Amino acid sequence: MLAEVGLIALALAFASSVYAAVVSLIGARQHRTVWVDSARNAALLTFPLLALSSAALLIALVTEQYQIAYVWQVTNPTTPTFFRITALWGSQQGSLLFWCLLMSLFAFVALLVNWRAHHRLIPYFITYSMVTLAFFIGLVVFMENPFARYWIVPDATAADGVRVVYGVFIPANATAPDPVRLAETARGLNPLLRHFGMIIHPPMLYLGFVGFLIPFAFAMAALASGDLSTGWIRAARRWTLVAWLFLSLGLLLGGRWAYDVLGWGGYWGWDPVENAAFIPWLVGTAFLHSVMIQEKRGMLKVWNMVLIIFTFSAVIFGTFATRSGLVDSVHSFAQSAIGTPMFLFWAGVTLISTALIVRRRQQGALQSEQAFAGLLSRESLFVLNNVVFIALALAIFWGSFGAPIVSELFLNTDITLGPDYFNTVTVPLFLVMYVLMGVAPLSAWGAVSGRSLGRAMIVPGAAALAGVALCYLLGVRGAGALFGFGIVIFAGAVAVFEIARGAAARQRAMHENPLLATVRIFTRNRRRYGGFIIHLGITIIGIGVIGSTLFQQETQRTLAPGATLSFAGYEMTFNDVQTGQIADDGRVMDITRLTVSRDGQTLATIRPRHDVYPTSPDQTAIAMNIPGVYGTLENDFYVLLVGLQPDGSATFKVYVNPLINFVWWGGLVLIFGTIVAAWPHEGQQAPARLRRSAAAGPPKGHATA
Amino acid sequence: MAQAAWEKPLASQTQRAAVSATSRGRSKFLIGGGLILAAVAYLVISGMLSGARYYITVADLMNDPAAYAGQSVRVSGAVIGETITYDSQNLLITFTVANVAEPYEDLGQALHEAVNDPNAIRMPVRVENQVRPELLQNEAQAIMTGTMGDDGIFHVTELNLKCPSRFIEGQPDQSIAQPGA
Repeated sequence: MLAEVGLIALALAFASSVYAAVVSLIGARQHRTVWVDSARNAALLTFPLLALSSAALLIALVTEQYQIAYVWQVTNPTTPTFFRITALWGSQQGSLLFWCLLMSLFAFVALLVNWRAHHRLIPYFITYSMVTLAFFIGLVVFMENPFARYWIVPDATAADGVRVVYGVFIPANATAPDPVRLAETARGLNPLLRHFGMIIHPPMLYLGFVGFLIPFAFAMAALASGDLSTGWIRAARRWTLVAWLFLSLGLLLGGRWAYDVLGWGGYWGWDPVENAAFIPWLVGTAFLHSVMIQEKRGMLKVWNMVLIIFTFSAVIFGTFATRSGLVDSVHSFAQSAIGTPMFLFWAGVTLISTALIVRRRQQGALQSEQAFAGLLSRESLFVLNNVVFIALALAIFWGSFGAPIVSELFLNTDITLGPDYFNTVTVPLFLVMYVLMGVAPLSAWGAVSGRSLGRAMIVPGAAALAGVALCYLLGVRGAGALFGFGIVIFAGAVAVFEIARGAAARQRAMHENPLLATVRIFTRNRRRYGGFIIHLGITIIGIGVIGSTLFQQETQRTLAPGATLSFAGYEMTFNDVQTGQIADDGRVMDITRLTVSRDGQTLATIRPRHDVYPTSPDQTAIAMNIPGVYGTLENDFYVLLVGLQPDGSATFKVYVNPLINFVWWGGLVLIFGTIVAAWPHEGQQAPARLRRSAAAGPPKGHATA
Repeated sequence: MAQAAWEKPLASQTQRAAVSATSRGRSKFLIGGGLILAAVAYLVISGMLSGARYYITVADLMNDPAAYAGQSVRVSGAVIGETITYDSQNLLITFTVANVAEPYEDLGQALHEAVNDPNAIRMPVRVENQVRPELLQNEAQAIMTGTMGDDGIFHVTELNLKCPSRFIEGQPDQSIAQPGA
């Protein structure tokens, strides 16, 4: 019954999205308001239908309906209820359905929020968002259906006269398998996914990915409708920020999951799938900066279109790469037949949107209203910052996908690029990014002299030098590290300096106390000052990355019970081990107990352990090394249990990761800053230039496509 | 209005005429853009020189080891389970991989055939200073980065493994047809 309900709701959602896409396009072309209204209602309907379909699958997971193949694959009787819920996105079919649900949610909210303010764009917005949604629902319905069930059918050629098949519809002469047998053989959720970071990481990443559909659809709507006033920018900017927020959160949680679960002491491995999520983040970041130039100066209209389309194109490509089995990665889904349609969809989206931009550009609808004033103007520095982001995105794309594909297609050999490539290319570009992050906010729109910019850099520059001196006094050696810290601190100092300067100016002008003045500058200009908090977060992350990358220490040692290892200023005493401990979910654990101390003072007891998950005989056993960690702001003392010896001793691998917690704390600051910047402001008005532009309406001669 | 007190002025409002794009200004941007492009190209090329590796099969390497001597390469092969040894005290893993015949449609089947084919080309592998990965099992696909030593052993610096049984989802399990316990 649940399978039928889920399936019917899914099919109706597919039909609704197709109907909405077609009818809104006809309504827009023929100026039929009733048709557009009808398309909107159909588009709105996709969310409750997909919610119903997802709820059916969720109930099937929780109530152990193992005849549904997806439930059988991702749960078993030992799976705790909590993980039954998270199993909704634990594998390809469920996660695709979940992806569609989130996409429809974004479209639903965007339609409700933007219906009145952007009514000229909305018909085409519905078309583009619903075409995309219909494509993904189509994949779920026709290729990766989570409601397919197991059936037993007679087969004279089989040894026992029957064969197990699975399908959406009931085959002829089929009988349902024995529920007890289904429960006995059910596989269960991949243990790698049983971690807090991995529970939230996929939904956050999906929200980030699908969120970019909204600004993309508004950009396409502007191109298709010819309404190329800055209305689409206003509609798209906040949605971009929302998507960017979730994508940032997804990336951070993914890093945290790798650090806690994968047991290699790191958090970023330049894995192709990690990179596939990082590329849209980089391009989206470029868009969030360059869109300001269009708002303030009426420039870079083509560039902004290209950026948002490139961002969404990168999202689709990343999804294709992850879900098609194209790349070898710990993140990959199973080999799947959805690769070809996804590739074609990606190519179609990219080609159509590029063709639309070219057409509008030829019509002169995307001309800049002003020219660049000088190399040191804020808009020039923002463009430079854009170039750095795009260079990073392209270099990472080339390393992850371009070089392997090109070498295979044209050189008749396979070439892959390892971490050395990524470190060589990205480190200098990231340093330039930090320099620009510091210098650009100190510049001004329009012409700026080198002397005035130099004056503005004195205070943050002095703070950066003081930071470098402090690092040196704290024992940091090595020109590279000190240089890196200096640049990163400079960028952060500028953010603090600008906030302080804004608060001081307000304090003088409004005679407010410093605290109130600081709060007020945030409430009055959330975007600007939220942006500075984001810069501060990126600075803190940068400090963490430099510290944990350049100064990580590691060792390995076999210790008898009671023995102590001294390493990097810590003492670690191996107290005892408990073997064969059985957890609620059936995994067998060997748990060691270690006392961590420093200068004779006990700091903590940590428990690195080795978990083995029970599997059926035909499956690969799954084991995991879960680290024990004593963490401070200074560093993490990170210990892995790598082996138990017959004589009762245990072998440990120990890492000391300096400043690594700056990465997580910086991430929290970044998230907070993004929320501040994206938070709706009641009665907020667009800048004067935008209001003039909006009032003037679209350029003559480009009313409709 | 209060905000105007500390917002930087739009310089263009007063200087618009003065800042129109001149050919001199445009060439500055072009030169700057060219320099940036050259710098990025330099980074990518030097990155490729240090980070590029051939991705080859066991047969490619074993049939022509001289062609890859001293080079870091990426090799894919099928793990033969009975050859796996792990010294957890010294974090030393050794095993043998078999060449996987290409092309194949079903990776799991190809790995199974490679391991059970006595004529398949085999290569001994040594991995130092690495915890035994959970997926290092019989008939797993090993994707290894390393160099071929003079001792005829492939010395691995980076080991990735893939188990088809973990990745082929949705394949009906025939044991479902049997009665439950």
